[in-house]
Amino acid sequence: PCWRVMIALEEKNLKGYNQRLLAFEKMEHKSEEVMKMNPRGQLPAFKHGDKVLNESYAACLYLENQFKSQGNKLIPDCPAELAMMYQRMFEGLTLQQKMADVIYYNWKVPEGERHDSAVKRNRESLTAEIKMWEGYLQKTSGGFLAGKTFSLADVCVYPGICYVFHFGLCEERYPKLAAYYNRLKDRPSIKASGPPTWLENPQGQDMLKDI
Amino acid sequence: MAKDMTLLWGSGSPPCWRVMIALEEKNLQGYNHKLLSFDKKEHKSQEVLDINPRGQLPSFKHGDNIVNDSYAACFYLESQFKSQGNALIPDSPAEQALMYQRMFEGLVFYEKLNAVIYYKWFVPEEERHDSALTRNKEALATELKLWEGYLKKLGSGSYLAGKSFSLADVTVFPTVAYLFRFGLSAERYPVLGEYYALLKDRPSIKASWPPHWLENTKGQDTLKEI
Repeated sequence: PCWRVMIALEEKNLKGYNQRLLAFEKMEHKSEEVMKMNPRGQLPAFKHGDKVLNESYAACLYLENQFKSQGNKLIPDCPAELAMMYQRMFEGLTLQQKMADVIYYNWKVPEGERHDSAVKRNRESLTAEIKMWEGYLQKTSGGFLAGKTFSLADVCVYPGICYVFHFGLCEERYPKLAAYYNRLKDRPSIKASGPPTWLENPQGQDMLKDI
Repeated sequence: MAKDMTLLWGSGSPPCWRVMIALEEKNLQGYNHKLLSFDKKEHKSQEVLDINPRGQLPSFKHGDNIVNDSYAACFYLESQFKSQGNALIPDSPAEQALMYQRMFEGLVFYEKLNAVIYYKWFVPEEERHDSALTRNKEALATELKLWEGYLKKLGSGSYLAGKSFSLADVTVFPTVAYLFRFGLSAERYPVLGEYYALLKDRPSIKASWPPHWLENTKGQDTLKEI
């Protein structure tokens, strides 16, 4: 979610915004500084003047609407691409959910409530979801999620795609997704905002190797 | 225009309801629609799968444009029909920002509601725990207090983003209606109760009110103690 907002800011030529990197492991997302901006104690926490937009999709949509005429256009004019953009953006939330259900299972579920059957079901669900996205990229010509142009769909979903590969998803098994991932990683807005810890250690864990 | 639209929906499903409210608000009455039954697994029928490979409702098509996700459909409709019906995205940056923020918090709200009322639907019997359901109920109570606070700060008669009805209300009102249908106490949550009363007679909402709620006006009391 944080990365989405940073990509959007870069795309809209809004570099120079004030920012602070906080550590989840040190519980800094529950600090008073964050709670003041976001009573949910979650990141990202984003403010433009006195307008608070902590939900990443809200911030992205707001930025595109308020800064339509600067930087890159992130919402296509063509109704078919626009429809596809919105559809993929929101399916992106499902992808994120299913990823989190697998990757963060032990974080979210107390020990006494964990079940192998649930882990298995979550992995199967994520596999089906990833296969679906591989299919989408096979069917959509143009190289981006909504078609020929980079849009809010890519802003919102690319971080998730990057994440699954970071956690070991097999590139050979999902060639279209891998191509998308590799093609976009050098896009200026994405390179400029990539999570700092990953740049030092590009290969993460291999939890999703067998997905 | 409405004639080129098809909506496959299920009664009472908040996501379906959102799209129907948006269609009404944009004066797109006359769209083709079919009511399907979740209980009879009609959401997994070929008719649905042809539009929506996920086998979920709502499934929505406008010409060749398929927009199944309820939020996506609402944004699509507002963007394509901006100049007709009611404006659903405020011009003022502050109201707009608040609208977007509440819309997406609305997804969290909906999720926490489902985690309580559909606990048994989502969790297989062998994996259920009283501790989990209790935790889900507490999470919902915390969430409810947040929304009660949001509306209180804006003052009586306000919509979620401020003075005008917006996509925030289109997307979140169905969740609020569901809460009261399932027994939420209006005494405990007076501001939410007021918001519910304010909106339930709005034409677009009345026109799309779940038919099975009209047949059977008594709801459930799952949320009575929240």
